[in-house]
Amino acid sequence: MRDKFLHKPPDLDLFASDLPRVEDALPGRVNADPERLERGLAQLVLTVVELLRQLMERQALRRIDGGTLSEDQVERLGQTFMELDKRMEQLRTEFGLTEEDINLHLGPLGRLL
Amino acid sequence: MIEICAITAEPPPPLPESDNLHAVCSAGLVALCTPADEQPLTPSVLWSREEMLEKLMEQCDLLPVRYGSRVEDDAAVARVLAERQGQLAEALERVRGAVEVAVRVLETDTAPSTTEPPASGTDYLRSKTRHAKVATDVHEALGRLARASTQQAGRAGSELLRAAYLVDRGAVGSFVERVAELQKAKPQLRLLCTGPWPPYSFTSG
Repeated sequence: MRDKFLHKPPDLDLFASDLPRVEDALPGRVNADPERLERGLAQLVLTVVELLRQLMERQALRRIDGGTLSEDQVERLGQTFMELDKRMEQLRTEFGLTEEDINLHLGPLGRLL
Repeated sequence: MIEICAITAEPPPPLPESDNLHAVCSAGLVALCTPADEQPLTPSVLWSREEMLEKLMEQCDLLPVRYGSRVEDDAAVARVLAERQGQLAEALERVRGAVEVAVRVLETDTAPSTTEPPASGTDYLRSKTRHAKVATDVHEALGRLARASTQQAGRAGSELLRAAYLVDRGAVGSFVERVAELQKAKPQLRLLCTGPWPPYSFTSG
């Protein structure tokens, strides 16, 4: 196989966080162990919640760019999103999920973000 | 069962014997197929498919077909080509003479925004806005050198951009030079550029 790097930084390891996810994806079988099913359901729900969170955050950033919000409103929005972010992190930890686990490829829908 | 690996325009390119490929021609298009096998899916199986596509890509413009696209026999392949002739011919025209180049951009941990938690809600949103702006700047700068581009949904963490560019075969060198310039101009970022790949991200309009 030819070298596919056209430009790479010296600290290439920074980009390697995806690799375990690729390996995990390959078996492609459903594991019917009840505990894993619960985790799978949590993963699905958190993925949808994360998608909505990112969409709302994107919308908030647009409104800030538009300059229609007061400083107080921006601060309150920021606090809300920061809290949501923290809460999502807690839930992820609780179910043993990583950031990548709840970041599915959503095909054309993914481009909304 | 046979598996469709790639679609190209007539006439069929010379096929490497080692890959057990055969060509099915219909409606001015050529599907390059292999007998379907049941071997388990591993990274090395996918890499050998990739190698085969890259060898073919040196000889012709092609549309890579999703791994595991299987049909009954050659007649079924010919039917698929005839039914989707317009769409496939259009996609082939779009990628003619071009290859895919992928770019990922990370922000390093040395940047203040990733080491310290934001002090206020305003700071939190400000850092989000800054990330989005950096991603847009890089994407637009590279997009100007490409025939088409596509950006994937933002990933969590320090990844600011994950994008693919459809670049003329002869322009890959200047595209990579631009990546190196951007890296020099933005030392807080890490730019990774890989390719040339078959045009995976540009097979449908």
